Amino acid sequence: MATVSLSKAEVAYIKTSLEATPPLRSDGRGLYDYRTIALETGVAPLANGSAHLKFGQASEQATEGTEVIAAARLEVEDVESGEGVNGGRISCTVSCSPSAYPHSSAAAIEDIQHDYTALLHEVISHPSLRPSNLSILRDLKSWLLNLDILVLSDAGNIYDALFVAAQAALWDTKVPRTRTVEYSAATSKARVALGGSGDMDVDSVEQSGFNVRDVKTAADFELEDYWDEGEPLRGGDAWPVCVTLNLYPPLYYLDATSTEEVATPSRLLVMYSFPADQPPRLQGMRLLGPSEIGLPLIKTLTQTAQTYATDLSCALRAKLKDEDLRRTEKARQRFASVR
Amino acid sequence: MSEITIRKRSLEDAVVTQRKFFKKTAKGKIIKVIRERYLRDDIGCGILHCRECSATSSPPPCLPPDGALDHQQFPTGHFVLPDTNVFLSQMDLMESHLFRTPIVLLQTVLEEVRHRSLPLYNRLKALVKMEDKQTWVFYNEFRSETAIVRNEGETPNDRNDRGIRKATAWYNTHLSMTRPPIRGKQQKLLPVVVLLTDDVANRQNAEKEGMPSVSIRQYVEGMKDASQLADLLSAERDESIEATVASRRPQLYPDYLPNATVLTGIKAGHLHQGHYNANEFNYLEGSVSVPAFAKPVLLVGRENMNRAVHGDIVAVEVFNKTDWKAPADEVIDQEVALKNDDVEDSDEEGEPLGLVAEEQRILREEESARQAAERQPTGRVVGIVKRNWRAYVCHIDRTSLTSSSKTSISQQTVFATPVSRLLPRIRMRTRQAPSLLGQKILVTIDRWDSASRYPEGHFVRALGRVESKEAEQESLLLEFDVPYRPFGKAILDCLPPEGEQWTVPLKGDDSPEWRDREDLRDLTICSIDPPGCQDIDDALHARKLLNGNIEAGVHIADVSHFVSPENPMDTEAASRGTTVYLVDKRIDMLPALLGTNLCSLRPYVERLAFSVIWELSPEAEIVNVRFTKSVIKSKSAFTYEEAQLRKDDPNLHDELSEGIRLLNHIAIKLKAGRIAAGALNLASPEVKIHMESAESSDPIDVEQKQLHETNSLVEEFMLLANISVARKIQETFPQTAVLRRHMPPPPENFERLQDILRKRKGLALDVSSSGALAASLDKCIDPSEPAFNTLVRIMATRCMLSAEYFCSGSVSPDTFKHYGLASPIYTHFTSPIRRYADILAHRQLAAAIGHSTLHPTLHSKQHVERVLSVVNRRHRMAQMAGRASVEFYVGLAVKARGEKTARVVEEALVIRTFRNGLNVFVSSLGIEGLIRFKRDIDFDAENYSVTVDDVRIAVFDKVTVRIEVEQDKNTQRGKVKMTLTSPVDSSALQ
Repeated sequence: MATVSLSKAEVAYIKTSLEATPPLRSDGRGLYDYRTIALETGVAPLANGSAHLKFGQASEQATEGTEVIAAARLEVEDVESGEGVNGGRISCTVSCSPSAYPHSSAAAIEDIQHDYTALLHEVISHPSLRPSNLSILRDLKSWLLNLDILVLSDAGNIYDALFVAAQAALWDTKVPRTRTVEYSAATSKARVALGGSGDMDVDSVEQSGFNVRDVKTAADFELEDYWDEGEPLRGGDAWPVCVTLNLYPPLYYLDATSTEEVATPSRLLVMYSFPADQPPRLQGMRLLGPSEIGLPLIKTLTQTAQTYATDLSCALRAKLKDEDLRRTEKARQRFASVR
Repeated sequence: MSEITIRKRSLEDAVVTQRKFFKKTAKGKIIKVIRERYLRDDIGCGILHCRECSATSSPPPCLPPDGALDHQQFPTGHFVLPDTNVFLSQMDLMESHLFRTPIVLLQTVLEEVRHRSLPLYNRLKALVKMEDKQTWVFYNEFRSETAIVRNEGETPNDRNDRGIRKATAWYNTHLSMTRPPIRGKQQKLLPVVVLLTDDVANRQNAEKEGMPSVSIRQYVEGMKDASQLADLLSAERDESIEATVASRRPQLYPDYLPNATVLTGIKAGHLHQGHYNANEFNYLEGSVSVPAFAKPVLLVGRENMNRAVHGDIVAVEVFNKTDWKAPADEVIDQEVALKNDDVEDSDEEGEPLGLVAEEQRILREEESARQAAERQPTGRVVGIVKRNWRAYVCHIDRTSLTSSSKTSISQQTVFATPVSRLLPRIRMRTRQAPSLLGQKILVTIDRWDSASRYPEGHFVRALGRVESKEAEQESLLLEFDVPYRPFGKAILDCLPPEGEQWTVPLKGDDSPEWRDREDLRDLTICSIDPPGCQDIDDALHARKLLNGNIEAGVHIADVSHFVSPENPMDTEAASRGTTVYLVDKRIDMLPALLGTNLCSLRPYVERLAFSVIWELSPEAEIVNVRFTKSVIKSKSAFTYEEAQLRKDDPNLHDELSEGIRLLNHIAIKLKAGRIAAGALNLASPEVKIHMESAESSDPIDVEQKQLHETNSLVEEFMLLANISVARKIQETFPQTAVLRRHMPPPPENFERLQDILRKRKGLALDVSSSGALAASLDKCIDPSEPAFNTLVRIMATRCMLSAEYFCSGSVSPDTFKHYGLASPIYTHFTSPIRRYADILAHRQLAAAIGHSTLHPTLHSKQHVERVLSVVNRRHRMAQMAGRASVEFYVGLAVKARGEKTARVVEEALVIRTFRNGLNVFVSSLGIEGLIRFKRDIDFDAENYSVTVDDVRIAVFDKVTVRIEVEQDKNTQRGKVKMTLTSPVDSSALQ
């Protein structure tokens, strides 16, 4: 965002360096290189899933990189009262720490937050991505997943950071296992349907099609195991990554720093999801900036973005799996060895 | 000052050190809770003279160095480390004074018990404090070596079991580490820590890991007092046997629904929750009062009662309206109907068919006789919300002993018949059967399987011979759950150190007693109480003022001066709730020093008091009222009779007599005012037991209590004081004032009584308001039968709800009313020595007049509610215990009279008719009795009458009955037996 103001000369300098052969960037990276990414999950113990992400913070100066914290919290919602929806829902909120945008006014920060929230929410809470285990009791209770992201500092490429952090937090999210408890008066017999919410359709199988009466069932749920964090949020492999292509047509580059962003007239955000056993899916796209680009160019750009997204996604998966391991087995081992 | 270091953990360790769990709130939200756990190395093992732990541990270690040496299996000494299931199912064993082995109680176990059952947790906490036991609580979850982390996919139960095993292993290593062999000396064999568990899997795992473990039965068998202790084992069988037995025996009762399902059903309104009440006349019928219906839900037959025991909170499903039934009109006695049920038979061979058929016949017969008009909601028990099982006083059923085993001491199964008619027979196994015959014993129910006709229980302890005073008295106290242990040291330490010598100090500004106290020592105050009263908590005075008005004062013992909030004495008093009066014994709420001396407003000595002083117009209207702490000196302590005589003696003109007259004058006006406002004059049968002499407690006769005018005098002033205080504290503390109310009874409660009166006597009862009821009760007079009016009053009283204490912030202000007294607001203030609610009212009033600040707990609505619910329950129990005690002595008196005159014949009034019997009330003795007819009689339910040998007997008819006390042959239970002598002699019909 426009937190840094540059003179025309500076803008020109950045542009020429990028267009030079070989291209030159102030921190010595190639056009398609990312800064170092540091990721840690499980940073907020009280949340159901959380992640802490830093882009390019090899040095000690805190202002150097882009840093965000994401946390997912589950909340029980009443479907009957119209508050929740069947199958559960996700609500995303991005808030920015004032220190992330020291030159902006409070009102401006609010606008920024709103922009981020709108984009993230639109993509993440899309029905095609909804995890299958967010429902508790059909027509009665469901989970609301609040995904909150806090931007601690913004040194460029905030959109990619938001999506990586969101994915990490959602990957880390565990949904407490619930058990349906039901009392149906019509048959004078109560059934207890075991299993998570995914098994809810079992109930409808049991009811005969001839039974046209409105069978009133009373149902509630209970926690299966109050110690257990629960099962991972399903649909973890489908969470999209975002790749921002910074455009100087026909040239483009990745992972812009904040000064580079100011010097770049337009950016194309492409969100790709890589569900298992399915071809990659384009989940969203957005063009930022005043300039226009033609359709053929967009086609090629999305193609290229897909390759970068694939790389980013693979690297992220590997890291997340490693994080899981670090937090369970390795921690236990260390605990055992310390004693 | 020692330095405090906080060692904060890095986030990295969180998985291990934090204990996470989820909680579902009442509103259905899920909350994640995180607890940080800090591990330490200085948690002591609790064994005396341990090299490593002794210095650091607090409280001081209490386990003997070598443990217990008297167990056959462990000659080198041992400690037991019980698993959770031991405390959950064998608490009586662990509590027994014969169980002396030092116990290591793990934190894991303690927490698990708390999670599973709060009552057992409380007993466990008491056990830890017991002085004749050696129990050490080891905080294994906090000691670094024994703390464990839950593995992936491990159930909480497995995790806890693993923790328990780990602690056992640690203890054994710890013992060997701290006692290394000393060179030159022979190595002493080490004591062991034995894992005590009934969980087979846990035991197998323990054996695999090479640590000593043993099942409870095995363990008990090796103990010194094996045979006595074995009886205390609850009826939990080995899993292996249970499976085969259960499959062989037919299921008699439907299974309960899972707990969560029941709660869901209740929440959705499909099921109803309520207290199960057994019917004392018919063991095959019970009822549950639920808020959804005006009439209680009726449960008919064993299957529908489904193993509910009187007092349990159950969930019932109500049938369709077409299946609703009316309550039965027949007396069905369990002992008679099930006389031939064999213990062993029903235990092993399944159910004797004859018995089932018999029960079904009874039900069918009854069914046809049930009246369609009186149908009420009918249903069945589908689940138990909470069992309220406790230890019951029982007798052993003599017939359930096989003749060969009458003397044998081998283990056998017998029936224990509870004293209370509301409870089913309990089957129990014992080795001591012959010695327990003819004794009152305490039996606990352990479980009730769906395949077992009777609940199974185990013997707890013997109380003593039947009909011995001590046994009867103790059984009464146990039956009504009255705490009767002597006060402990901590409680007695709260008394003033001067003891009996305590006196009001000399008046002075610096004495704390005199702070903000009025000096009323010169007033002519006297007390009026029943004869022999030792705990005098009220005194009165009255005098004419110069302006023509009258000053009247009620002075109540200032108990709250001695009982400070939240000290051990206060806590004990709160849990006792009330003093319990039995015929021959008083169980005090407060130590006797306070009750009968320091707080008792004895004559001629200075005492601290809390005074309510009114200025009344000559018409008894309140002009002004003030409350003050004071010092008084009573001039005399009268009995009701003495005061009455003094008042009536026209020659006496001293200040005291004039005072009494003045008080009486106002009391009459006050009473008239109350009656005009619609107060009820209720009656309950009160009789007085004459003892032979002060020392012996053999009753010789019974007579009805005499009421004097002065009884009413004292009562009126107490009511006035209570009402004035209630107003004041409610005004000052609208959220937490301790008040008492009496809800108006629902009109349906009176339907039956109204119907009887209309049909039998042509009288109408107007129940629209308390005033209307009072007026119509006054009209219920039968000139030929003076007792009739009293009887109707008693019956009307039984239709009403009972009064209760409540916290003013907890209910809506329009329900504050006291129905019986027709007062808009009421509390109890006048008997702080014997009622705990009064102490709370005293504290609130003292704060209201600015004498002292209110203790924070009295600002908490939850706290007040909690205390009052205990007090309400104790109050109810105390009344029942008192009544039962009177009944027992009436029985003894009848027996004594019977021995002198061969037969006791009394007049009685019929109060209820059954298809095979009559319920009568003997007003001269204040007892109810049941007359049963064996032969068929004509029963007219519509007109509440029966016809025996062409003689019609109906409700309210006067009959004469012969009263005998006969001992039940089987159970040794002494019971009053009545037979009709006129208009027909029913002895031939029996």
